[in-house]
Amino acid sequence: MDRRPMFLAALLAVSIVVTTLAVPTLVSARPAYEIPVTNVDNGATLDAVDGERWDQAPSAGVSLSSSGAAVPGGDNSTIDEVRVASARTDERLYIRLSWDDPTRDTSADNVRQFADAVAIQVPVNESARPPIAMGSTDNQVNVWYWSGLNDSQELLAGGPGTTTTLDDRNLESDATYRDGRWQVVLSRPLDGAGDNRTSFSAEQDVDAAVAVWNGSDMERSGAKATSEWHYLALGPGPQGPPYEMILWLVAGLGIVFTTLVTIEGVRRTRGE
Amino acid sequence: MSQAGNGTEVGLADGIDHQVAMVMDLNKCIGCQTCTIACKTNWTDGGGREYMYWNNVETKPGSGYPRDWEEMGGGWDEEGEERTPGELQNKEEYGRAWNFNHEQVMYEGSDEPLRPMEQPDWGPNFDEDEGAGEYPNSYYFYLPRICNHCTHPSCVEACPRSALYKREEDGIVLVDQDRCRGYRYCVEGCPYRKVYYNAMKKTSEKCIFCYPRIEGEGPEGEVMPPSCAEDCPPQLRLVGYLDDEEGPIHKLVNEHEVAVRLHPEYRTEPNVYYIPPFAPPQHSESGESIESERIPRSYLEELFGPDVHEALNTIERERAKVERGEESEVMEMLTTTDTADQYRLEVFD
Repeated sequence: MDRRPMFLAALLAVSIVVTTLAVPTLVSARPAYEIPVTNVDNGATLDAVDGERWDQAPSAGVSLSSSGAAVPGGDNSTIDEVRVASARTDERLYIRLSWDDPTRDTSADNVRQFADAVAIQVPVNESARPPIAMGSTDNQVNVWYWSGLNDSQELLAGGPGTTTTLDDRNLESDATYRDGRWQVVLSRPLDGAGDNRTSFSAEQDVDAAVAVWNGSDMERSGAKATSEWHYLALGPGPQGPPYEMILWLVAGLGIVFTTLVTIEGVRRTRGE
Repeated sequence: MSQAGNGTEVGLADGIDHQVAMVMDLNKCIGCQTCTIACKTNWTDGGGREYMYWNNVETKPGSGYPRDWEEMGGGWDEEGEERTPGELQNKEEYGRAWNFNHEQVMYEGSDEPLRPMEQPDWGPNFDEDEGAGEYPNSYYFYLPRICNHCTHPSCVEACPRSALYKREEDGIVLVDQDRCRGYRYCVEGCPYRKVYYNAMKKTSEKCIFCYPRIEGEGPEGEVMPPSCAEDCPPQLRLVGYLDDEEGPIHKLVNEHEVAVRLHPEYRTEPNVYYIPPFAPPQHSESGESIESERIPRSYLEELFGPDVHEALNTIERERAKVERGEESEVMEMLTTTDTADQYRLEVFD
């Protein structure tokens, strides 16, 4: 018996099995720009960076590049990536940020000393996407800011250089530096409880962007590493680009193509 | 720009009604630091300000305060359009407060002289009176410095938050303490290094031209000159508006052009002006005076720009006039002991 049709038939079978197994794994990959948000019943272990619940929370690697702001060093940042995870209870939103930084800078006691810092910005009006550089006057952003001075602040901004401290301090933070890596948790009630404060709901994803400052590189203000807009996946369904559909389509076409090639191969072998 | 009565132009920043200014006659400065202490005790004796001297007096030639501030950059390019950001200096370059053996000498009966507990290697006035040149023609002079409240302030431009601003009514440059977030771009942007960082408050601070005094906000409600000016024993400072045509500042700066700016090449257009220093002529080895200026003109030009030549020539002519028994408005203004002439306080009222 000619071995070729058998080989092709076996190949077809293997292809189908591989596709069937691989495609579901691929389509469960997160859409680009998603920061996953885990729903939890209570946040007891989320307010500390070492909290157990963070072990199970998926995180996203967020790429950073220089902000390019018009300040000395604005195009010269040093931190490339920050990992971001998020979790929410019925009352509170938690965000954990971690990044590699070989120097731990927690003081600004000397003229030349600057502290490491991290911030996440979200639109005040979560249904509209503001300009990435600190929003704009008619499209403001809330900023959750933590610095190595052991200081966390909730800020409002309406464009570069306009950050203003919001008085009522609802923002809580916890941070550790271990093995050349910062881990910072910031949390705040979902309800903004006031004007100019973002309220988070389970109905809608919320845009978010991250910035990291390396103190030993004298980074401060616009001299920082920033991300593009990502989104906190707070809403009910999958969002982002339709990767799933594209992947299924590619897989389906692949199966059909392979089948046709196989059939043709078998027919030619038989001399039909 | 506004046009003064005699046709000379007075440079005012855009949107500024008047510009406060000061003229300091370097020929009168005795380096006593009374101005330094007057300022320090008035404004900078609080936490985080230990190292700050909003007013300081340094010896020239010398490294100054902070050390080598003239080499740290800042200010504007030659066209005066692009900022040239400078370097942020170390705290050591300002010098830190030394601990003295007061306890041992005063209370424990030590025979040691009163001195710092550790070997100091730098501090404000560390090179005081050293100067330059060889005996018998060595030379130095004192240079009192405050914030220049520049017409084109690079500190204001450097701040990404607009926390520094120039007051519309009198051109005084201030730091809004509520807006400042301690980024220190102003500190490195000022080529005169006259903005300071308060590490305790995490904000920048600077000379405020004693605005509460010139506004009459003191206990008696009287308008008073800045502390550094009022407390100066030889009364070397004249205070007023640059655009006050009746005042001595306008006359010395714009009419007679005998008061010049320190490092005009930084292009920030300072509003503190200096009457350049005269010194006795050089001496020969046998002790006779010779026709050679003791302080090299080239050095004065380095400090005050090319206009210093004409300023010195004019002063020399005016001095000769007085020696001949003629009248000289310039010398009258520079030698008056009437504080009402020195401080045109009525313009602030």
